[in-house]
Amino acid sequence: MPGRVRRCADVEGNKNMQTAIQKAIALILSGDRELCNILLVTAKMSLSSSFIALCIGVPIGIWLGSGRFPGRGILVVLNRTLMGMPPVVCGLLFYMLFSGVGPFRKLRLLFTVKIMILAQVCLITPLVVGNMETYVSGIAGSVRETAKGLGLGAAKTFLLLANESLYEIFSVYLLAFARAIAEVGAVSMVGGAIAWKTNVMTTAIMQYTNRGNFSLGIALGIILMTVSLMVNVVITLLQRRFR
Amino acid sequence: MKKKSLLALLLTVAMVSGLFTGCGNGGKTETTAAATEAAKETAGETEAATAADDATTAAAETSAAETEGQAAAGSVNTVILKEADDKMINTYTVIAVDPEAPFTDENGNAVSDVAVNTAGADALIQFLLSEEGKTAAAEFGQEEFGDSLFYLLEDAPAYEGEIAEATEETKTIRLSTTTSVNDSGLLGELLPIFEEKYGYTVEVQSAGTGKAIAAAQYGNADLILVHAKSSEEEFVEAGFARTLEGFDSERLSFMYNYFVLCGPTEDPAGVKDAESVLDAFKSIADGKYPFISRGDGSGTHTKELSLWPEDLGITKEADSFVDYTDWYTSANAGMGACLVMAEETQAYILTDKATFLTFVANGGVME
Amino acid sequence: MEVRAFSKSYDKNPVLQFPAFSFEKGSVYAVIGANGSGKSTFARILAGVLPGDQKSSPFVSACKVGYMPQKSYGFRMSVEKNILLGGKDRQRAQALMEKLDITHLASRRADQLSGGETARMALVRTLMRGYDLVLLDEPTAAMDIASAALAEDCILDYQRETGGVTLIVTHSLKQARRLGDQVLFFHQGNLLEWGPSAQVLEQPEQEETRRFLEFYGA
Repeated sequence: MPGRVRRCADVEGNKNMQTAIQKAIALILSGDRELCNILLVTAKMSLSSSFIALCIGVPIGIWLGSGRFPGRGILVVLNRTLMGMPPVVCGLLFYMLFSGVGPFRKLRLLFTVKIMILAQVCLITPLVVGNMETYVSGIAGSVRETAKGLGLGAAKTFLLLANESLYEIFSVYLLAFARAIAEVGAVSMVGGAIAWKTNVMTTAIMQYTNRGNFSLGIALGIILMTVSLMVNVVITLLQRRFR
Repeated sequence: MKKKSLLALLLTVAMVSGLFTGCGNGGKTETTAAATEAAKETAGETEAATAADDATTAAAETSAAETEGQAAAGSVNTVILKEADDKMINTYTVIAVDPEAPFTDENGNAVSDVAVNTAGADALIQFLLSEEGKTAAAEFGQEEFGDSLFYLLEDAPAYEGEIAEATEETKTIRLSTTTSVNDSGLLGELLPIFEEKYGYTVEVQSAGTGKAIAAAQYGNADLILVHAKSSEEEFVEAGFARTLEGFDSERLSFMYNYFVLCGPTEDPAGVKDAESVLDAFKSIADGKYPFISRGDGSGTHTKELSLWPEDLGITKEADSFVDYTDWYTSANAGMGACLVMAEETQAYILTDKATFLTFVANGGVME
Repeated sequence: MEVRAFSKSYDKNPVLQFPAFSFEKGSVYAVIGANGSGKSTFARILAGVLPGDQKSSPFVSACKVGYMPQKSYGFRMSVEKNILLGGKDRQRAQALMEKLDITHLASRRADQLSGGETARMALVRTLMRGYDLVLLDEPTAAMDIASAALAEDCILDYQRETGGVTLIVTHSLKQARRLGDQVLFFHQGNLLEWGPSAQVLEQPEQEETRRFLEFYGA
C-alpha cells in the first residue's frame, strides 16, 4: 500500500507541474486584481532599488577601480564581504533599526515599500560596486595614462571611465535587477508581506509554499520569470544601442 | 562571445532534459512497483518508462502519467482521527498593545515613545466583539464546508457601543496574527466589512504565534490575534497588553475551534480507538509512527508539545527530540506545508480544523 | 629645461637611474636602447603617469607635458571627438587628420579601429596642443611604412611650429637618425651615452653603444 501512495505522489508531482503552467496562464488572463497589485509593487520595488543601487554603486565602483590610494585594497575586500551579506541579515538589521522600538522609529518606515527599497539598495550596492571595480580596474591604467598624457583633469578622466564602462553598466544593472526581483529574505523581513501593500512576487510565492499550495507558487514563479525575461530583453536591446 | 552563448544553451538543454528525465525516473520506479501489482496498468507505463530517458518524448510520458493522476486527483489520504477532545480546544484571543508597555530595544534599553494606534486597535477589537463581527465569524465556512470553522465562546466579551470611524491619524491598523488565522481565510471575510464600514486599513502580518507576539513586543503591531494561552499570559504578564474601556481583562478570548489529530486512513497507531488524545499521542510515540511537528513556535506547535507523554521530554528546544528523529519531524514550516508533508509521508499531524478543512476541500493544496 | 636626477625601483631592484639633465628647447631627442633598458619607464616618469622613487616631479620649473603612451587607446566615441579631447581647435584637427590621412575615419568609433589607425589617431590627438615637452613612446610601432613616414613628417612640422622639446622613444635607428637632433642611449636602466645624433649614432664612445648599433643597424 505505501507503494501505491508514493506513486500517487509522483503522479501528483507531474500533474502539479502541468497545472502550475495552466494556473499561471489562467491567473494572467483573469487579470486578478491582487496579482496586478503584487506585480506593481514588485516592479516599483525592484526597478527603484536596482536603479538607486546603480546610481550609488557605479561612481564608487569607478572610483575604487581606478583610484590609487592607501587603503584601497582594504575597501575592496570589505566590499567583497558585503557582497556576500545574507539578505535575511540585512533585513533583520533594518527591521531592528526601524522597528517600533528601534532608533529610527520616528520615520515610521517599517512595513512600507520605501524600507524594502532601502534594504535592497543596501544589499545590491556592494554587488554593483564590486562588478564595476573589477571591470574598471581592467581598463583604468590605459585610460588614465592616455587622459593624463592629454593634460585632462580628474573630473574629465572620471567621465571618460564612465563612458568606457557604459556597456558594462547595463550588464551590472541587469545583475542588480535580477537580485532585486528574486530576493526574498530581506523584503519579507522589513516589508511584512502585507497584502495590497508590501506583498511582492517572492513573498507571495513563499506564502503559498508555506500553505502547501506548491502549484500556485510555481505559477507565480513562472510569471516572475516572464516579467524578468521582458525586462532583460528591453535592457539588452538598449545596451546594444550603446555598444 | 559565441562560445559563451553556446555554453549557456548547452546548460539550458541539460537542465531541461534533467527536469524531464527526473520525472521519467519517477515513472520508472512506478513501473516496477506497478508491474507486480496490476498487469493491465503496465502496458502503458512501460512504454512511458522506455521513453523516459529521451527528453523529446517526455510529453507522452507526462500525459500517460496524467491519466493515472486523474484517478488520484482530489483524494486526500489524511483524515481526522481525533477531535472534539477538551484538551484540543483552540481558543483565539485578541489583545490590544499598550503604548506605555516596557518596550526595550535589542540591547535592553528602555524605549518610551513607541507609536501605537490605540484608537484603531480599539475600533477593530470592538468590531470583532460586536454582534456583526461575531456573526460573520461564526458563519464563516458554512457555505463552503457546510460547517463553521470557528465557534463563538459562550462567555465571550461583547461590545454594544459605537465604533469610532477612522481619522487620518488612526486610519492604519497593524494586526499581527498567526498563519492559521490568516490561511483559514477568516480575515479575508471579516476585514473588508470592517474597513468599508469604518474607513480603516488593516495591515495584516502573519507568522507563527511566537513571531506574531514578538512583532508586538518590538512595537510593530497595534493588536494581536493569537491562540496560545501560555504565550498570551506571558505577554500580559510582561506588561505589553492594554485593557480596553468597558472590559475587565486584557486577554479577550472570543472564538475557538478544535485542534484535530490527523493521520493516514489506515491509522497504523490506532489512535481512533484511543481513549483520549493523550493516549493517542502515547501510542504514536510508542509505535514510533511518523509525526510531523510544525516546530516553529506557533500556537499549534505549543499545543502539540503539551500533548506528548511527559517522560519523552519533547520541548521546543532542538536537542529535546534529537533521539526521536527517526519518527518525529520538526518541519519549521507553515500549517499547509506541513499538511502536504504529512500526506506525502503518511504521517500523523496536529492541525487546526479550519486549515485542515481548507486543505481537504482543495484536494491537498491551500488556495 | 632642467630635470633633477631621478630613479625608479621595484621592490628595491633598480630599473632606472637618470642623472640631472638639461633639455635644449627646440630639439628632438630620440631615446634608444634594447628592450627593458628603461626607455618607457623614463618617458612615463617624465609624463607623470608613473611616480619615481622621489615621488615629486623631476622638473625644476613647471612645464606643460604631453604624452602618447606606447599602447594607443581609442576612447569609445568617434575619432573626431577623440581628437578634440587633445585640443579644441577644429581646423587644426582637420589639418592634422589630413596630414596623417585619417580624414575618412573621422566619424568612425575609435574603439573599433585597427592598431595602425588607432596609433595615427592617437598621434593627432597628442599633437593638437602645444606643449613645453611632448613625449612619444614608439609612436609609429604599429604603423605601416607609409603611415610611419607621414607621422614622422608630422612630428617634424609640430616641432618646428611649437619650438618645444620633443622626446621620441624608438626602436628604429632610421627614425632616430631622421628625427633626432640629440640621442639618448639607455642600457640596463642607465643613461649610458648621449649627445648630438650624428656623434652618438656614428662615433659612439661606449663599447655597449657600439654593440647595440651594430646589432640594430645590420
